[in-house]
Amino acid sequence: MNTPAPTLLELQHAVYRSVVGRDDAEAAACIVADGIDPAARLGIYRNTFASVLTNALKLSYPAVHRLVAPECFEGAARLFIEEELPRCANLDHYGAGFPDFLARFPPVAALAYLPDVARLEWAVSRALHAPDVPPLDLGRLAALTEDEQARVCFAPHPSAGLLHADYPADSIWRAVLAQDDAALAAIDPASGLVWLLVHRTENGIEVTRLSEAAWRFTEALFAGRPLHSALEDAPGAKAHVLLAKHLTAGCFAGFGVSDNAIS
Amino acid sequence: MGGGTSLRYLETIRRDYPLSLHGVGLSLGSAEDIDAAHLTRVRSVVERIEPGLVSEHVSWSVVGGAYLADLLPLPMTEEALDVVCRHVEQAQVCLNRRLLIENPSTYLRFCHSTIPEWEFLSRVAERTGCGILCDVNNIYVSACNHGWDAATYLAALPRAAVGEIHLAGHAVKMLDDGQTLRIDDHGSRVAPAVWALYAEALARFGPVPTLIEWDTEVPPLEVLLEEAARAAAILREAEGEYACADAA
Repeated sequence: MNTPAPTLLELQHAVYRSVVGRDDAEAAACIVADGIDPAARLGIYRNTFASVLTNALKLSYPAVHRLVAPECFEGAARLFIEEELPRCANLDHYGAGFPDFLARFPPVAALAYLPDVARLEWAVSRALHAPDVPPLDLGRLAALTEDEQARVCFAPHPSAGLLHADYPADSIWRAVLAQDDAALAAIDPASGLVWLLVHRTENGIEVTRLSEAAWRFTEALFAGRPLHSALEDAPGAKAHVLLAKHLTAGCFAGFGVSDNAIS
Repeated sequence: MGGGTSLRYLETIRRDYPLSLHGVGLSLGSAEDIDAAHLTRVRSVVERIEPGLVSEHVSWSVVGGAYLADLLPLPMTEEALDVVCRHVEQAQVCLNRRLLIENPSTYLRFCHSTIPEWEFLSRVAERTGCGILCDVNNIYVSACNHGWDAATYLAALPRAAVGEIHLAGHAVKMLDDGQTLRIDDHGSRVAPAVWALYAEALARFGPVPTLIEWDTEVPPLEVLLEEAARAAAILREAEGEYACADAA
């Protein structure tokens, strides 16, 4: 008995089950064998799917790729791909969940710092591919009254991001990408938390280590809190100096003035 | 469409060279709706770099909102033809320009296909007014894999619609049972048989802008330049013949 031909949508779901779920049965039944096992034909597409996505992860996580054995990275990537498929055809956006995946991937459990390095690489990748937006116009900021300046709220530049790590992810990342074994050997993984700002400048990506107080102040500004409010929570952060640095470094894309009068 | 150095480099190159923008993510053959966000991203690149040509593949990559990161084959059916035409029209309206659609390299055929691939391409071009990006290597690869005649394929394409040609190297993969399949991997020199087919294509379509795709196992620059020079020489020869034919 002839089964009716599948609709395009049914066929595409069947191919999905083959490529992603390794269940060839339904798709194979729709394929002309012509001397070659349909499963072998489907396998070619499955291989491309896996290798393109593995490659996308290598591009976003180059230091992680160098820190583990090649087969370990491939294995992690294959399992991760099964968990998280791209929802967007721009693969620069693919792999946000990889750091958390690595944190629960037993073969790399001995490299406790690896998920932190991966989180930093994701922030770097986001900064690399963030939209081109001109930095905040300092002239407009200077034109505000003193009262308005206190109530100013900043919008972070799309390339700017903050993260903190239990391990010195920034030092490890730099040493690995520079292939500087001596620098890598000199790093004490147990040296304590690091508070990091990542952003893109004209010259490339900058990863800056901040004090915890400076980081929290920056975080408050990035969250859009009015300047006076962020300053109240930042004793000892040398907040004005830091704000000036962020402004000149182009960490903000715009600003507004909060309606709430300062009490 | 993001920003940063890659786009800046592209804009710098664009100042001195015309560019052709070649997509892999629109998934023109998806049964579900085209991803409007992706189409908008493509439009923003088109607006920013004003390419001479914009192309996409006759294939699909998205189902259930998941992007499968490959150019998956379509059944050559009336339903798939309607879907591709609808999406090509949508893309042409959004981008406000003619799209070129590229013939894929395929490693399987579906039992319920009813339309030869060359006819499928011609009918999309006829119905939507789009052009055809004739990938000569893909024709050769698919012809070998499916027992088609590459010359028949070329001869069936509407001359006026062909706006660009692609060339590339391909690999011959030996399967477990000793059978072989040709794989379009863009990782080696253009095969001799593909060069011959390229000359045939130019004789038929005229001196069409040609791109050699080589994006895996990228060799030293001199090898790329040699390949480009070889294509340019065949193209120049075709230009001469074309001019003579025109005059006659």
